[in-house]
Amino acid sequence: MRGRPHLYVSYESEQSLLPTWTQRVMVGLLVFLLVLIPLQGGIEIGDRLYQPVGFLGDNAWLKILSRVAIFGIGALGLNILTGLAGQVSLGHAFFMGIGAYTAAVLGGEVGKAHWGLGLPIWIWLPAAGLVAALVGMLVAPTAVKVRGLYLAIVTLGLVFIGEHLFRNLTSITGGSQSGRKFPSLDFRLWKEEEPFLAFTSDGPMWPVFNWLDWLFGPWINFPAEMSEEAKTYLALAALLVVVVVLAKNLQRTRIGRAFMALRDRDIAAEVMGVPDAKTKFEAFALSSFYAGIAGALLVAFIGRAIPEQFNLLLSVQFVVIVLIGGAGTVAGTLMGSVFVFVFPRLVQDFSGWLTETVESGGVIGSIADVFVSTGLDDPGLVSTLEGVSPGLNVSQLNVVIYGLLIIGFLIFEPLGLYGIWLRVRNYWKGWPFSY
Amino acid sequence: MTATVERVDSSGAASSVKTVASRVRDWAESDPQGTAMREKDFGIWQEYGWSKLWDEIVTAGHGLLALGVDVGDVVSIHSEDRPEWVILDLATVAIRGITTGLYPTNPMAEVKYLLNDSGARVHFAEDQEQVDKVLEAEPDAFPTVTSILFVEPRGLRSYGDDRLMFWDDFMEMGRDHRKANPGAVEALMAAAEPDDVITLVYTSGTTGPPKGAMLNNKNATFAIDKIVMAEGRTRDGKSPHPDDQVLTYLPLCHVAERIFSTWHMVGAGVTLNFAESIETVQVNLREIQPTLFFAVPRIWEKIHATILIKLNDASRIKRVFNGIGLKLAGFIAADRTANKGNFTWKSRLAYAIGNPLMFRALKERVGLRRCRWAGTGAAAIAPEVLQFFMGFGVPVYELYGMTENSAVATLNHHGRVKVGTVGEPYSDIGLRLDEESGEIQTKHDGVFAGYWRLPEKTAETMTDDGWLKTGDVGVWVEDTHIKIVDRIKHIIITSGGKNISPSEIENSLKTSPYIKEAMVIGEGRKYLTALIGIELDTVGMWALRQSIPYTTYRDLSEKPEVIQMVQRLVDETNAKFARVEQIKKFRMIPKELDHEDGELTATQKVKRGAMFEMFEDLVEDLYR
Repeated sequence: MRGRPHLYVSYESEQSLLPTWTQRVMVGLLVFLLVLIPLQGGIEIGDRLYQPVGFLGDNAWLKILSRVAIFGIGALGLNILTGLAGQVSLGHAFFMGIGAYTAAVLGGEVGKAHWGLGLPIWIWLPAAGLVAALVGMLVAPTAVKVRGLYLAIVTLGLVFIGEHLFRNLTSITGGSQSGRKFPSLDFRLWKEEEPFLAFTSDGPMWPVFNWLDWLFGPWINFPAEMSEEAKTYLALAALLVVVVVLAKNLQRTRIGRAFMALRDRDIAAEVMGVPDAKTKFEAFALSSFYAGIAGALLVAFIGRAIPEQFNLLLSVQFVVIVLIGGAGTVAGTLMGSVFVFVFPRLVQDFSGWLTETVESGGVIGSIADVFVSTGLDDPGLVSTLEGVSPGLNVSQLNVVIYGLLIIGFLIFEPLGLYGIWLRVRNYWKGWPFSY
Repeated sequence: MTATVERVDSSGAASSVKTVASRVRDWAESDPQGTAMREKDFGIWQEYGWSKLWDEIVTAGHGLLALGVDVGDVVSIHSEDRPEWVILDLATVAIRGITTGLYPTNPMAEVKYLLNDSGARVHFAEDQEQVDKVLEAEPDAFPTVTSILFVEPRGLRSYGDDRLMFWDDFMEMGRDHRKANPGAVEALMAAAEPDDVITLVYTSGTTGPPKGAMLNNKNATFAIDKIVMAEGRTRDGKSPHPDDQVLTYLPLCHVAERIFSTWHMVGAGVTLNFAESIETVQVNLREIQPTLFFAVPRIWEKIHATILIKLNDASRIKRVFNGIGLKLAGFIAADRTANKGNFTWKSRLAYAIGNPLMFRALKERVGLRRCRWAGTGAAAIAPEVLQFFMGFGVPVYELYGMTENSAVATLNHHGRVKVGTVGEPYSDIGLRLDEESGEIQTKHDGVFAGYWRLPEKTAETMTDDGWLKTGDVGVWVEDTHIKIVDRIKHIIITSGGKNISPSEIENSLKTSPYIKEAMVIGEGRKYLTALIGIELDTVGMWALRQSIPYTTYRDLSEKPEVIQMVQRLVDETNAKFARVEQIKKFRMIPKELDHEDGELTATQKVKRGAMFEMFEDLVEDLYR
């Protein structure tokens, strides 16, 4: 029945991921945009050259976006555990570490100082997830016994156990001095020299773009070469899309509904026939699987890492993403990870711009001078100078702003960014009423 | 679009009479996959196709035969609206039986009266509540009833009465009977006569016990031709067609809902959507967005009140836009009223501004966005309420009719609307006003076959030359439209000798969202007074905002602030009427009126006689 968005005549339509055409078109456009971002050379339409998303195509930005994708995958995992199943966890970093070192052992270089089997990505990436999931299942029984704050403390303990283990198992992790080298993202069929798909070197386009070229070639001129960052970004973005679809789909499965029942009231859920222990097992396993994958991707993306990477701060970062984004929602979690990584960059750019303004003088310059410290004797909130100065440096400022934001969100908008979006949407949906 | 379908008769003998049942078979043959009905089940609107519907009707018909229902036997249905209601109704007609419906709110005493008066053989009681109304009576209270069907088994498993039968078992029995006697239902259907009575519709009984009005095949055919297929009824000129959506929510035992649901479905192929319950009508309306919508004035008043309250409760910015929208709507309504319901360029311009601003969103929220025809009838409505909806572009038309003439009397056509009248008589029907009393009288094929087993009462309602006396007083407006003054019996003659129609005054009072009931009194008295009942929801909300604490309905009614507010509303109404028609005093009704307590009929009409008895002291107090 056209034009009746609330009329569902079948479960399929009621449960569909994108029920309306508006949503389908919007998501389609978003995915298209994601693909266009890395086209740094711009695209030629007719005689004119267009920069599709302008500044986002620059390599530094692509790195940020790649990080967003990796942390997005990990945060979706925590969202399953905390947002859907309602189990507080501070141990996410530990599971990421498990994934990372599984990847290192399976995919790392053969021989040398550390263990490594040199296997291709299609083995080590899923394996990273699976091993993390197994460890997650070992932890799950404690969640059956303890709840809330106590569970948070138990999982907090995991992080410290993990850090201790990672520091001492030097043949796997390389120890805290130098860390170790991790496998690259390149896709090999087996152990061949020349990768089947190379992500970590500049070079020609991917097959995907060959198809695009074939399809739109007559009208749009796609560039022939792409940077390493662009290719990495595309690979991670593609993975993120897959993971998002899986996470979104989980919410409408029997398991997903069981998670939510457990979150809302575990005793009530058990009365309805949701097995408590089994469901918590599943929640931990699934969440750790995502964490393992994200951990493996993260170290592969960075290339080299020390055990201390997987500390409490990393766990907290994920909690921040989920909280700022909006617990329990996929879209919110994605918004959260975009926010957490894009925001510091904006703060940095803004501080830089303020400093420039001060230097250029004028009325605006003197206003900006109140906030910026330009020298040792100039008081101000933030400083872009190297070395000692009265102001905070940019990363310190970022930490302060983070803290304020978390407090602000928890007090004023517990549903996070998603909650803000929800309110804006409901405002228009409710027109001309308010309820 | 008319239901002219080439019929391939499966039973061999071509049926000469179109019945409401045979029409379903025609749809099943011409459009087997088309949707006939929807019912919401666990959040999903489950669909019934025409062929499935027809199959179930035949099976149910066989089931009735297996229960021993003969030609002319009565099957009674005591249930909320649901597919089984329609299936059993049509199955009964298919085997030439007679259906009668009971209101779900009918208390035990009335159930007993209705079943015994109609002599029902098979009784369909929806659930435990309705079954109990039969079983809790003395053992031989229902001598004619041999079977009681139920469809909601909850709570009934332990019942031992051997007349009880679960609907699924009944259908299973029907399937067995069908295998053993193929074509039996079709053969009976083919033998149908135009004079076969198909349903008894009991009058609401504001005075005396209810009477069963007999409607036959001829009446139904006439009503379908005249009302369903009326020329120039909708704004796009198209008659109802299979793409139309109807929400079925008023009791199906009432003639209006029967015509606007069942007979629209069989006659024009529209899809019936059963509302979950009367409480969810507003939600269901929004989901279905019906294209044809019929409501009684009480529902229109309720929607009107809800909209006003919600618009007023909106946030600040929205209220600014809503204020502009209401102004525009008011202008459009006035302009359309002056132009027979048509738009002029001015109102069209206002509509073009108001529509994107709020009208469209408002109609979507209320569920009337796709509505191409909306009707009101069965009681008088205040012109203000009609105009309110016209202003937003809801094509709402008032019509008039009664059970005894199959509801065929007058309607407002699109483009020839006169607000405050019930419209023009249908084409080619006999309709006249009695010269002496002004009573409306009709004569056509829709006039009923008489009251069930009451020939003398039937004779009383007919004139000597065979016209039906409707009991309503009307006047011609510009020789084309009819305006209803009131029921003859309700007209008040004051001691000063003035004739006053109370319903006009009552409806004007009820336009306010705060007033639910109003009864004007004054027969043989010096001046007019009124009993007024408040709407608990809205007045409760109002009290909350004024920080007036209250406990019960009665407590709230008697708050001086509330009485003051009602006084203001009464003054507003008085301003619209002449001096003799003004209400001098009023009293608050201390309780919510109810069907079970006998103050209202099943159709929520106030029983004036019962009210006088119940609130005698209040009335006397008014003239002290």
